[in-house]
Amino acid sequence: MAKEIGTISDARWPNGVRLPVALTFEHQSGEGVPLLPGDRPNAMIGGAVQYGARAGIWNILEVLDKLNVKATFFVCGTTAEKYPDAIRAAVEAGHEIAGMSYSFERIRTAHPDRERTMVRKTVRVLEDISGARIRGWRCPDYRVSPQTLDILSTEGFAWDSSLLNDDLPCLFDCTGGKLIELPFTTSTADKTYVGYPYPMRGGPDGLANVWQSEFEALYRESERTTRFMILSIQTWATGRPANVRVLRQFIERLVTKNDIQFARCAEIAAWCNSKN
Amino acid sequence: MWIEVPLTQQGQWPKGVRLPIIISVHHQSEEAAVVFGDGQVDPFDFSERQYGGRRGAWRLLEILGKHNVLGTWIICGATVEKYPDISRAVKKAGHAIAGHTYEHEMMCNYPPDQELRLIRKTVQVFQDQLGENLKGWRTCFASHHTIDLLLEHFDFDWDASIWNDDLPYMIEGYGKKLLEIPFSSYSDAALAIQITNPMPPTPYGTWHSNTPEFILKAMKSQFDALYERGAEKPVLMPLTVHDFIVGRPSRSLVLDEFITYAKQFEGVVFATHDQVRSWWMQNYKQ
Repeated sequence: MAKEIGTISDARWPNGVRLPVALTFEHQSGEGVPLLPGDRPNAMIGGAVQYGARAGIWNILEVLDKLNVKATFFVCGTTAEKYPDAIRAAVEAGHEIAGMSYSFERIRTAHPDRERTMVRKTVRVLEDISGARIRGWRCPDYRVSPQTLDILSTEGFAWDSSLLNDDLPCLFDCTGGKLIELPFTTSTADKTYVGYPYPMRGGPDGLANVWQSEFEALYRESERTTRFMILSIQTWATGRPANVRVLRQFIERLVTKNDIQFARCAEIAAWCNSKN
Repeated sequence: MWIEVPLTQQGQWPKGVRLPIIISVHHQSEEAAVVFGDGQVDPFDFSERQYGGRRGAWRLLEILGKHNVLGTWIICGATVEKYPDISRAVKKAGHAIAGHTYEHEMMCNYPPDQELRLIRKTVQVFQDQLGENLKGWRTCFASHHTIDLLLEHFDFDWDASIWNDDLPYMIEGYGKKLLEIPFSSYSDAALAIQITNPMPPTPYGTWHSNTPEFILKAMKSQFDALYERGAEKPVLMPLTVHDFIVGRPSRSLVLDEFITYAKQFEGVVFATHDQVRSWWMQNYKQ
């Protein structure tokens, strides 16, 4: 059983980096949308989420490209199969591809064999399509099973980002070796503020406010202690024009600071590893 | 059974105090995490809340310390056992400490004998872990027996579980007295999130948060209204914050900014429940 060794509180970022910022994009094309009674697809909400795969991801890639920022994309296997071009474009632009289930499987109570098969299938599909090695994972519904971290470690993963319980990366001792956990948070998740059919509390301005507040608090704290910032962003929510503008403006504000480094999760995990 | 004791004079605060603000920090970490129908604790909700014990509580302690204000830390027994260091630091910093049930049980769903057992267990934990003799109690889900049990079996000075008034009131029963210090529905939980996760959580079941801006605005509105009213009448502002909600970086700024804002006003005092109790008891002098 995976055992937490502890928070990596002595992580030291590369020289000149005061606060690494990981933009993590969760990319699906409607796989996670619940079916209507009678197992009928929910075309309305499904379409709103499918938007991310058809248009949202392209809008986001454009912004990241213009501002020369590298990020991490968590991708569902089936989304990559249905929309491979965006995944290839993301890799070509230097972004990291990580796994987020094959087809939005919720594995909280899954048999370990089923979960392992699903992880392997996701990795195979994503690696075949993207040509990139898959070393990171996030459970699509943020619900790990008791064996998730162990399975990831035995499948050769370096890091996971499915937990939400810390400000800093944590180190786990798993059956397959050490695994870095990069905890994130839904307190800054775009879907809450601009996602449909979420309550959309705040709209684009609200999204800007919550991201900026998170950054200010962490930036302040990072003066005297180790911190990193991680945002969970849906390609279907922030990908919309009004919201992608918020993303652009957020990045534009941050890049004026020389001690901010936008980083892929793999880089942050590697920085942690170099100290452990 | 207990009765309410009427004031013997018009209720007032000591000279110079116009608006006491009681910050209650609910330090409960993962204790109230959603449990699925199959008996498994929701790993997502658990992890999101566990942030409170691991990080959020420390951040709140730091903010209060920075402003040099004291509050009341309302702590679950199980949380003290799991994260004793933060409770010790809270005590060392001089904050008041109160009990918040053992594992955030919804006491309204428990028969009196079980509720009594859980209160006893919690009281014991604070004694064992912190050497703290609990004088204050809050359960967010009081039962119709809560007050009776507190009076009959314990020596609490105050309870703050009831949401039914603007100001404290004294109750008497079983030969003992207790000050009820009601709290407000304007907690961070109500303002920040839709805390009632659907059961079972839908695939969309996440924390439906309001923006930091919205929460700050609501806190200030409540403050402004009470401060204005405080020119003529006694007022009290209970302000609840949770380790896993306002303890998050983005929302921690809200508490920081609110304290900065409120401090500028003459007659605003950040107080603990214990202080407020001793002040209000003056209004019952024979």
